[in-house]
Parts: sequence; structure tokens; C-alpha cells
Amino acid sequence: MTAITASPLVEVRHYRTRSRLRRAGRGLFLAVASLLFLGYVLAPIVWLVSSSFQSEHEIISKPPHWIPQAPTAQNFAAIFAARDSSVTYETRKARDPASGGFIPSTASNLLPAMLNSFIVACAVVVLNLLVGVPAAYAMAKIHFRGRQASIYAILATRVIPDIALVVPFFLFIRNLGLLDNIWSLIITYLAVTVPFSVFVLVSYFESVPDELDKAARVDGCSRLQTLTRVYLPLARPSLVAVILFAFLASWNEFLLALMFTQTPASQTLPIVVASFTSDFTISFSFINAAGVLAIIPPVILALVFERYIVSGLTAGAVKG
Amino acid sequence: MTTVTSIRALNRRNFLKTAAVGLGAASLASRAGPALAAEPISFATWSAAVDTVKSHLAAFEAKTGIKVAYSNSPWAQYRETMITKFIGKAPIDTLWVSDSWLPEWAEAGWIAPVDQYKSLTDNSDVDQFCIDSMTYKGKQYGNTYYSDYMAFIYNAELLEKAGIKAPPETWAEVAAQAKTIKDKGLAQWPVLFSMAQESWLIEFMTAMVYSNGGRFADDKGNAMMQEPAGGAAPALRWLVDAVQKQQILSPSCVETGELAVLKAFSSGEHAFALTPKYRLRTLNDPAQSKIAGNAKIALMPSGEKGSHATVGWMRFYGMTPRAQADATRAADTVKLMDWFGGKADGEYTFQKMLFRDVGSGFGVKSLFSDPEIRAGYASYGDVDLIGKQQSLARKKDVVTPWFGEWNDVNGTAWQQAIMGKVTVEQALNTSAAKWTELKKQS
Amino acid sequence: MTTTVAAAAKPRLGGVPGYDERSAFLLVAPLAVVLMAVAVFPIVYSFYISLFTIKLTRPGRTPFVGLDNYITVLSDPQFWYAVERTAFFAVLCVSAIAVLALLMALLLNEEFPGRRVLSALLLVPWAIPYVANALMWKWIYDSNYGALNGLLYQLDFINSYMVWLGDSDKTLALIANAFVWKEVPLATILLLVGLKTIPADLHAAAKVDGANAVSRFFHVTLPSLKSSFGLVVVYETMMAIRHFDLFFILTEGGPGDASHVVAWRIYVETFRNLSFGTGAAMAYLLALATLALAYVIIRALARKI
Repeated sequence: MTAITASPLVEVRHYRTRSRLRRAGRGLFLAVASLLFLGYVLAPIVWLVSSSFQSEHEIISKPPHWIPQAPTAQNFAAIFAARDSSVTYETRKARDPASGGFIPSTASNLLPAMLNSFIVACAVVVLNLLVGVPAAYAMAKIHFRGRQASIYAILATRVIPDIALVVPFFLFIRNLGLLDNIWSLIITYLAVTVPFSVFVLVSYFESVPDELDKAARVDGCSRLQTLTRVYLPLARPSLVAVILFAFLASWNEFLLALMFTQTPASQTLPIVVASFTSDFTISFSFINAAGVLAIIPPVILALVFERYIVSGLTAGAVKG
Repeated sequence: MTTVTSIRALNRRNFLKTAAVGLGAASLASRAGPALAAEPISFATWSAAVDTVKSHLAAFEAKTGIKVAYSNSPWAQYRETMITKFIGKAPIDTLWVSDSWLPEWAEAGWIAPVDQYKSLTDNSDVDQFCIDSMTYKGKQYGNTYYSDYMAFIYNAELLEKAGIKAPPETWAEVAAQAKTIKDKGLAQWPVLFSMAQESWLIEFMTAMVYSNGGRFADDKGNAMMQEPAGGAAPALRWLVDAVQKQQILSPSCVETGELAVLKAFSSGEHAFALTPKYRLRTLNDPAQSKIAGNAKIALMPSGEKGSHATVGWMRFYGMTPRAQADATRAADTVKLMDWFGGKADGEYTFQKMLFRDVGSGFGVKSLFSDPEIRAGYASYGDVDLIGKQQSLARKKDVVTPWFGEWNDVNGTAWQQAIMGKVTVEQALNTSAAKWTELKKQS
Repeated sequence: MTTTVAAAAKPRLGGVPGYDERSAFLLVAPLAVVLMAVAVFPIVYSFYISLFTIKLTRPGRTPFVGLDNYITVLSDPQFWYAVERTAFFAVLCVSAIAVLALLMALLLNEEFPGRRVLSALLLVPWAIPYVANALMWKWIYDSNYGALNGLLYQLDFINSYMVWLGDSDKTLALIANAFVWKEVPLATILLLVGLKTIPADLHAAAKVDGANAVSRFFHVTLPSLKSSFGLVVVYETMMAIRHFDLFFILTEGGPGDASHVVAWRIYVETFRNLSFGTGAAMAYLLALATLALAYVIIRALARKI
């Protein structure tokens, strides 16, 4: 666009000044917005971490110490050292646990529960891929009867609230004798996470050109071989997104784990952490330390695989 | 094939597949389950005196060689936690039970009568109050863990600073003294009560109701709480006025649990509180409380038509049908219950330790006159007053099979009245209606 | 699109008629099995249980009562109160999420240094477990030692510590805040995806036509975001209606019945009152209502697009 109306020099100068101001204004606006954004997103967590490094004495200050004045790692030490050590008449703490500084016996379950959570999450991820990928491929590439309906049906299953699943599932699993077994969690989580995984994968597969598919089958590949040899290598972003979603959903799930697990043999991390919340016999700082431990693995995962989430979700949306 | 039949075929195929997968998974899972042989005795408690219990257990295991799996969970949600375990068929052999839940749990079959175990039913040295509370429909369901009552505690230092000579004797005096303390700027909320929906709530409410001369249910088990005369109205009205009108009780009382009351009172910011009597010990221990030496017990203030009565309770060791199913298991469990609830090596070791560590009351008659016990009480309280209040303690009148469900509705109603959302009459009518409904259904 | 073409000339690669269909069914079968077990089965079994009176405290008596449980539930004013609480909570949450997510997505759509860091950090609330989230907010809202009280007190907004969760007027809003905080990241990403798919030509054309940033926002950006917005609204409404964890840990339905949402009532009815029959009836009604709501919203959005 070259509309020459006034003397070129004056135009350029005005344009430059206006543009610099606008750029500065925009920069300032973005900086402020970013600060607000960061504050909203991170402030509660920063406070959680700060609390976990305070001693019980310091944590009940009014107003609170935003930065610990006497930071201590005793809460974390207590978690990692927590063991069902034997207590004798002589070594017992002859006071009321209510007065604080008391580590509950369930503290020693925290790390085994983390292990349970990890096993369950990994199993769910693997099963998600085994069940979801073939189905997504079929629904994206094969025009079979009932294809549209099945996509809607799959999404519809997630509409049912978890609390409505709990009652019949509880009775069913109890009668099967599977209560207090991590398999009850694995199966349930699989069914709960697979719809979203399939949805993401279907979007992704649909964005891959059909020609690749046809070319592979002309070369004599069966459907399964097409899937494994052609599509999977291309689908990395969405696969990672699916793995991440499935892992995090299983790691973080609470209600079903609460109902289906009875003893530390199968309890997952959220359950053990929740068991500390209302018990004032332990220190506030201990609860916060347990909370920090609970968020470290998922946060690390999310940060490491962050770019796959957006690209995994975007893939299906961008046409052409 | 038409679409419909193909889908039906698909469904049939899938149904069979589901069944096959289900059965396969179940068999795989059960193989992965825990080995049942030689399981330790499972002992579930709430989180009180944990180290004391652990030390006594260590002695038990050393003496008998029987392994015990001890677990504890917060008292505030103990009933719900245990119920979830019961319906989930979690392995529990013996556990602490509150007298409130005895009918409910007995009817559901979660705890079993123990009349066939002679050592447990030897009640020669057991307080009658405790025996009565452990008996349902003529059968005894365990042996005593501890027994206590709700006490009225005041902070002597705060009262002195406010120029108050003697602790209050009536609820009206409590309000007046609290107002004085508040006006002098000595405490923002002089009265500290716990009205949170948790296991303690019924005992706090009952103490208020009894001392105001009322009852929840009459001797025949019919709802009486809504009666203008002899019901729960004066008690609830006092609470509502304290929060809404006089502002001597913080509106956060509906959020405050008993443990929070203990912590807050021990920091010296309040003048009057209702706490279980055994908390006196912790409140007067310099290592655990800022107001040590100043936490004193007074007789429960009486209402206008009331008395100094208070509520007493007891908790006991219950035994599950699972434990009783196997003879060896039953014998071992009984040994454990005896070791804790009865004599251990000829001495009431656990009861005395509990008293020393936590200040707990007990159901053992002979311990009341034990010099060690009396000296213990004397170190932090007026022994005679403690004894007098004990004689005025009465059992809860709401202990029925439908207690759990009614308690939830009643607690919510009281909270709503305290928050000013409904009137006192409306709250008590709701509560009475629920009681009558549940009674009819049973 | 290609349906007519496909119908006319279905690829017969592999040479066997119906090969495609069979492959499709085989590939989809495991998924179908899993979903049937968890979607169809609970609905059917839930309905079956709801036809009986099952009270665990009276294990011997479980009479068949037909639809009586439903009538009991639907004629209970407490149930409708819970419905009202749930609706209020859902509306509050979804509006807040929509606004905040839009603002954040717009910010992240701009190019500026550090944008990648911001979008990485955005995921932190989403990643943390619901329980840790609840714990964290419970601690922040604590009436005696909480950070919220401390912050407002230090900034001189309040004179003395206030009651937060225990104040029934504020309870639902505070729980909603905790819920929104955790849900905003995912909503932001969904909107961001939508923003990225708006072709740059649309914005350029608008600029040529003399539109400034604000009017471009209302006439180009918002309309193009309709389907993403739709997805966010549907998804977050579903999540808000069914949410349980925060209610369990923060308030247990209290104080009084200020946070008695339907999900909480179902839990109380089933696991505290031990009335599995009515609990199942309530759960079944909630499932039906959620399905209906999803259907209505999706149809409304489909019509708009």
C-alpha cells in the first residue's frame, strides 16, 4: 500500500514515534499482564512451598511469614524418615498428640503410596495406548458404519459423573473381591481416561493425509501394519499428549481411589495426603510438606512435556 | 447384515468379551492379592495417645508373640472412616468404638457380642455407667477403653485481669462475665465452643442441653428436643444469642473442631471453653500449653431451669465378626482386648499410662481411690470438684440405631440456627421431625 | 464431504469385501469393551439398585420398592436445595473460567520474550492433584493462620482476621475460586488452540477496513472462537456439576448446608446414611441430568455454528 499524501519525511517521522510509543505501551501492558498472570498462577504454590519449610512454631505467626525466617527441612526429613519404629514404655512421648509436633503413623505410608500411584499411572498409560490407538486409527481412517455415532458415544461416557460410577462399581468390585487391589483402580482409570485420549488421537490422525494410508496399503500393509509403521512414528506429539493426560489423570484421581482402597497395600498418594488434612494432631507445616511432595512429580512432568500438550491438541485443529 | 443386527452382534460379542475379561482379571487379581495365612491381628483406633498405645503394644507382642497391625485415623471422621472400611470388608479385628454408635453398628452386624468370652465380661471392677453403655439388647459388646465427661473450663488469669472474683455458675453469668472481658479488651471472643460437624458435636450439644434442663429424647425414645419446656431450645438459644447478639462467641465456631479449641484455648486467647475433662491435663502442662496453671475447671453452669449436669460418655474395644469367625484369631483378639481394657500382667498399666500421659478418665472402679490417681488429678485440678461433676454426668439420650443419620441432620440444623439462617424453633422442629421419621422406619 | 464418493467406490484393498469393516471392528473392540463396562454397566446397575431399599444398618431387609426412591428424592426439598447450590456453583465457576481463560489466552497469543516460560508455568495448577489443591486452599483460607487473612490484614483491607470457609455466604464462592484456579489452565489452552486457528488474513482484512484492536476483538476474534468457547463451556460445566474432591476436603458440605451440592448429598446418602437405594437413585438422576444438559448445550452450540 503506497498512498502518498504528505511529504514522505514527515510521514516517516510520525510513524516512527507513534510506533515506538505504541511498542513501549504494548511492552508495558504485556509486562503488567504477565506479572498478574504469574501472580495468579504461582502465588498459592509459592506459599505452599514456603509453608513447608517453616517450623510449626513459625507457621502459626500472625500475620504469616511470607518468607520463612528460620527455614527448616525437618518436615521433609520426617516424611522420608518415617518408619514404624518400635516404641517402648520408656521411649514413648508421654504427651497428647494434639499439642503438635507429632508425626502420624500414616506418614510412613506416604512413600509407598507414591509408588502405588506410579505403578497405577504407568499401567493406565500403557493400556490407554494399547486400547486407544488402534481404535482412534480405525475411527479416523476407516469409514465403517456407526463411526460418527461411536465418536459421540465415546464422548458421552465422560458425561456421567464419577459419583454415579462409585456406587455400582463399589458393589461390583466388592463382590468380585477386588477391593483394596490396585487393579480396581487401573481398570476404572483406564475407562475414565480413554475417551479423551481417543478424542485427541482421532483429531490427530484425521489431520494426517489419507494418501499416506492408501500408499501404505497399496504396498501390501494390513491395517495394523499401516498403523504401526506409518502413523505411529508421525504421531509423536499427540501420543505424548495422551501419555501425559492419562498419567496425570491417574496420579491425581481421588474419589474412586478413596472408595476402592482400604489399606496401605493399595492406597495411592492423594488418599494418604488427604488423611492428614483434618487431623490437627500433626503440624500444619507437615501437611504442607506432604502437599509439596504430592505436586512435584506431576509438575515436573507437565513442565518437561509442555510443548506437546499444545501441539498435540492443536494438530487436529489446523486445517491444511 | 443391516446396521441394527450388526450392532447387536457387536454388542453380544462385546458383552461376552466383557464377561471374559472380567473373570480373567478377577482371577489374575485374586492371585495377586495378599496371603491370608498368619495375618496379624488388626487393631484400629483414632489418633489419641498414639505413642502410649504403641508402647503397650510392644510389650504385648514381646510377651505373647502375637503380631498386631495397628492403624489410627482422625477421631473427627472416625465413624465415616470405619463405616467405609466395614462396607469395604477391610480386615479389622478389634477397634475403639464410641457408645453413640453401639446400636447402629450392632444392628448392621459390624461388631459382635462378646458374652461368650468370660475374661471380657468379668465386670466386677467396672463402673456401672460403662457396663450399661456397652450393653445393647441385653448383650455386651466389648470392654472399656476409657470414660469421661464434658467439663467447663475457664482461664483463671483472664478472669483475674478482668476483676472477676469467681467463675460463673449459670449460663447467664457466663454471658455477663464474657461481656465484661470483651469490653475490657482482654479477649475478642471470650467464649470458645466447638460446633463443627464432627464426632464430638453431639457431646458438646448434649452438655449444653442437659445443663439447661432439657433433653433430646424422652425415656420412651420419643423426640423431645422441640418441646418448649424440657427440650433443647434454651441451650440452642443461648448459643445463637452468644454469636449473633452479644458477640462473645465467634461465628467461626461452626468451623472449629475440638482439637482447634484445645489449641486455641491453650494459647490463652479465650476465657471460657467446653472441653472433655481430660484436656485439663494438657492445658496445664507447661510443655504443651501457654496457660499452664491457669486452666481451671468449674461446675457446668446451669440454665434457668437447669442444673450442673453434664454429659458423660465412654468408649470401648469392640470385636468384629471376622475376628470371631476363627477360633485362634478370636482367642488372640480377646487377649489383646484384655491386655488393653483389663489388666496387663496384673496391673492396670494402660489405664494408668493414659491417665498420666493424656489425663484420660477410666471405667475401672478401684482406680478412683488409687492414691497415684488422686495425686495426679490434684496436680492440675480440684479433685473434689472433678469427682462432683463426675457424679452429675449422664449418658446421652440419643443412642439409637438411627443415631448416625439423625446426628448429621441435627448438627446441620444447629449450625444453621447459630449462623442465623433459621430460627431456634425451626431448627429443633427439623431435628425432631427427622428423629420421628427415622424412629418410625426402624 | 467424501461420504458419497466413498459409498460409491469403497476401496477394496486387501481384496476381501467387508475387510475394512472387520478390521475396524477388531481395532475398536477393546475400546468398546472397556467403555461398555464403565459406561453402560454403572447406569444399568445403578438403576437396578435404586429400585430397592438398601440400608446397610438393616442388612436383612432389602425390599423391592420400584420407583419409590425416586419419589422420595424428588420430593425432598433438601435435594432441590442441593440442585440450586450445584447450579449456582457451576454458573459461578464457568463464568469465571471463561473470562480468565480468555484473558490469559489472549495474552499468550501475543509474541513477546518469555511467552514460552509463561505457557509452561500455566500448566502447574492443572498438573497438581485435586487433593493437594484442596489442602493448599484450605490452608490459605484458614481463619486463624491463613494467608488470605494475613495478606488482607497486612494490606489494611481488614482490621482483624475474618472467617472465610465458615461463613456460609462466602463458602461456595471460595470453593469456586479453588476450582477455577485449577481449571483455568486447561481452558486457556483450549482457547489458545482456537485463537491460533484464526487465519491471519481475517485480522489483516479487518485492519485494512480500519478496525482497531478492540473492534477487531469483538468482530473477528470472538466470533471465530465460538466453537472453542463452546467446548470450554460444555467441558467445564460437566466438571463443575460433578466435582466432589474440594467439597470433601474443604468443608464436608458445611457450614450448615452451605456447600451441600448434589455430589456431596449422594456421598452422604450412600456412605454416611448407608442408604444405597436412595443414593443410587440420586446418582442416576444426576447422570441423566448431566447427559441431558450436555445434549442441550451441544445442540445449542451446533445451531450457532
